[in-house]
Amino acid sequence: MPDGSLHGLRIIDTSEGVAGGYCTRFLAGLGADVIKLERPGVGDSLRRAGPFPGDVVHAETSVMHLHLNAAKRSVTLALASASGLRLFARLLETADACVTDDPAVAEHAGRIQTHLVISTITPFGASGPRAGNPGTDLVTMAAGGYLSLNGDPDREPVRPYGDQSEHQAGLHAALGTLAALRAREGGAPGQLVDVSMQEASGFLTAGALQRHALMRRTQTRAGARPAGFAPNRLYPSTVRPCVDGHVHVHCHNRFHDLISVLMDEPRLAEPDVLAEPLGHADEIDALMDRWLATRSRREAVAEAQDLRVPMAEVFNPGEVMDDELGHLRERGFFVDVAHPVAGAVRQPGAPVVMPASPWRIRRAPLLGEHTVDVLCGDLALSRCDLTRLSAAGVV
Amino acid sequence: MRPLEGVRVIDLTVAVAGPVATHLLGDLGADVIRVEPPFARPTAHLDVVPVAPGAPDRPYNRAAGHVDLQRSKRGMTLDVAKPLGRDILLRLVAVSDVVVENMSPRVLPSLGLAYADLRGANDDVVLVSMPAFGSTGPLRDRVSFGPGIDAMSGLAHLTGYSDLGPMNASLYYCDYNAGALAALATIAAIRHRDRTGKGQHVELAMLEGELQLVADALLDYTMNGRVGMRRGNAHPSMSPHGIYPCAGVDRWIAIACEDDRQWAALCDAMRRADLRRDPLFGDVVSRVRNRDELDKLITDWTSKAQGNETWKVLQLAGVPASPVQTIGDLFDDEHVTERRWIQYTEHPEAGTVPHTRAAFTLSETPARIERAAPLFGQDNRSILSDLLRLEDRTIEQAYASGVVRDEPPSR
Repeated sequence: MPDGSLHGLRIIDTSEGVAGGYCTRFLAGLGADVIKLERPGVGDSLRRAGPFPGDVVHAETSVMHLHLNAAKRSVTLALASASGLRLFARLLETADACVTDDPAVAEHAGRIQTHLVISTITPFGASGPRAGNPGTDLVTMAAGGYLSLNGDPDREPVRPYGDQSEHQAGLHAALGTLAALRAREGGAPGQLVDVSMQEASGFLTAGALQRHALMRRTQTRAGARPAGFAPNRLYPSTVRPCVDGHVHVHCHNRFHDLISVLMDEPRLAEPDVLAEPLGHADEIDALMDRWLATRSRREAVAEAQDLRVPMAEVFNPGEVMDDELGHLRERGFFVDVAHPVAGAVRQPGAPVVMPASPWRIRRAPLLGEHTVDVLCGDLALSRCDLTRLSAAGVV
Repeated sequence: MRPLEGVRVIDLTVAVAGPVATHLLGDLGADVIRVEPPFARPTAHLDVVPVAPGAPDRPYNRAAGHVDLQRSKRGMTLDVAKPLGRDILLRLVAVSDVVVENMSPRVLPSLGLAYADLRGANDDVVLVSMPAFGSTGPLRDRVSFGPGIDAMSGLAHLTGYSDLGPMNASLYYCDYNAGALAALATIAAIRHRDRTGKGQHVELAMLEGELQLVADALLDYTMNGRVGMRRGNAHPSMSPHGIYPCAGVDRWIAIACEDDRQWAALCDAMRRADLRRDPLFGDVVSRVRNRDELDKLITDWTSKAQGNETWKVLQLAGVPASPVQTIGDLFDDEHVTERRWIQYTEHPEAGTVPHTRAAFTLSETPARIERAAPLFGQDNRSILSDLLRLEDRTIEQAYASGVVRDEPPSR
């Protein structure tokens, strides 16, 4: 198989959890040699995050570990000990970048290795009055403004499922790291990439920012009617029930003629509705519901798509994996990865198809699986050294 | 220097996801040339921001989405469906590194601009395509925008209150995810080209980018046959973990305790040391089980004070918390200001436009948002004559035949 696009780059990853794990999932999938430094005997917190097969807690089978740590190598190392720090320094000498969620590790790494790209991922970034404050996915999403746009207007704001603030921080961290690595290959020095989870979720508010500043209109949450770039004009853009579940309809007004034909409801394209669709949202919903009440998701979407009306099924995770439409199967998106403890695991594959430098599919490492390879190979430690370090709890 | 200095990108994108990808590349220093059709920019269904004092009133230059999403780019108009327009585009490809597009997979090939055609002009060019579903598979020709993909990925099913129906993540979640992902893949492909001399056609299907984000729910189904359900702000292994009301109208605070230490600190901050000894809340398992009672106690406390006051107390105590900031709050947030997270461009017709930068700063090669979104056809002349060095005769012909226009045609 050809090399990945990041072939030849080595990344040392001391992070734990979703954001750092997602960042280095990209770098590993794109072909970099990602060495995850894990606490001896404990490992990455993703190993404890679950869910677990059969709900049996096991450090090797947490599904978030299997997904996010795919294609990385694992070395155990106690960074809290002096000899651990010495080995860390030697490892950094062999590396191009270091990804961490610990500002102290970043500072240490930056001091001893100025050639490195050092990426820190923290709740609020490394500077500013909130730097160092604790924060979770929920808290940083609240601080970033995005949470205020999610949820029912009559209820409390509600968080989009699944640590999205952390995921976006990981994605931006990978982007920033790669940008800094490119600058370095072009002659720039090593540098600090300072990633903030608050900013990562806040990046999703764009559009709302301009309307607030330039049009004096502050968007808030609108339930299943998410406000788009044109909240007074764009509707329907919503989730509605049908016979066997829900569908999503997204029709800005160049689709109104089509949707009125589709549902045989001329009212949907009358001038007063077209001029102010969101103002007629209740009426539009009622008209759509009448049509949807006699159709399954499959029937509704098929009829809509025949007319080029953007309608989609709301799938639950099981339906996504079962892939009734066969689309993901035909594209080979899901991959079956053999794992010595978890068995064969069907999981999401490449986020991006790069024919000349393919995404690397490889299983997640066992805890400390590559300790000997890396420490005895790259750092030329003897087996005797390793035994001593192991006895001292350093590896 | 800036990270993507020396990289030229041709931007053929539409809607949201594509423009996010290319503005991120522009923010990082690439020379992004946005190529638009020389026809009227539709504004009828868009928000148009007010005209800046003294500027000509041309609404098509001021769509709110345009002035944000097209920053950090130059702009030209070109009718690539005409032979001369196609020819000019290929000459542009010859002096560029990357082409980014997010149209339906049928479109570029139907214009004679398939990847093979682009390679005819520039052998190592990188083409980044961002179709909704990919260029293969039974759904390849489905029409969809980002929010429809939020529905198909499982995200909408899982988002919302436990007693209500599914709900999309707000605004354009899928588009912003795909945009950042495409920018990342672009830089990777440029590195590969620099190392091997080989370009490639990169394909990012927005659906496949989004399925990375709900892997825990997908794998819980594969491994355990369990279909995840909506659970509001409840967390499987943190409690308290919620959004609590504060004094004032529609003001809220987020509070989350990751461990027993933070829980103890919260009890002290609430002046409810007694709760630390309450067996109902003794460890995280109990707190998750008795979540409703716990949330009621916290609500009693938070609803008596302003969110900012409560937040300051919790900040001192080391409890993860933040007021739920409105969009307006972001502009007044000292932390946001000090980190220069919101940056501004001076747009000649829309005035001072705020933008959020990507979620990182770079200490040595900063990414700065400096160039305002282009006016219609703004850089036509400089691109045609200075960059492409077309003969005057060809440029005149392009204008005369409507292949290039400096102003949209009047209706």
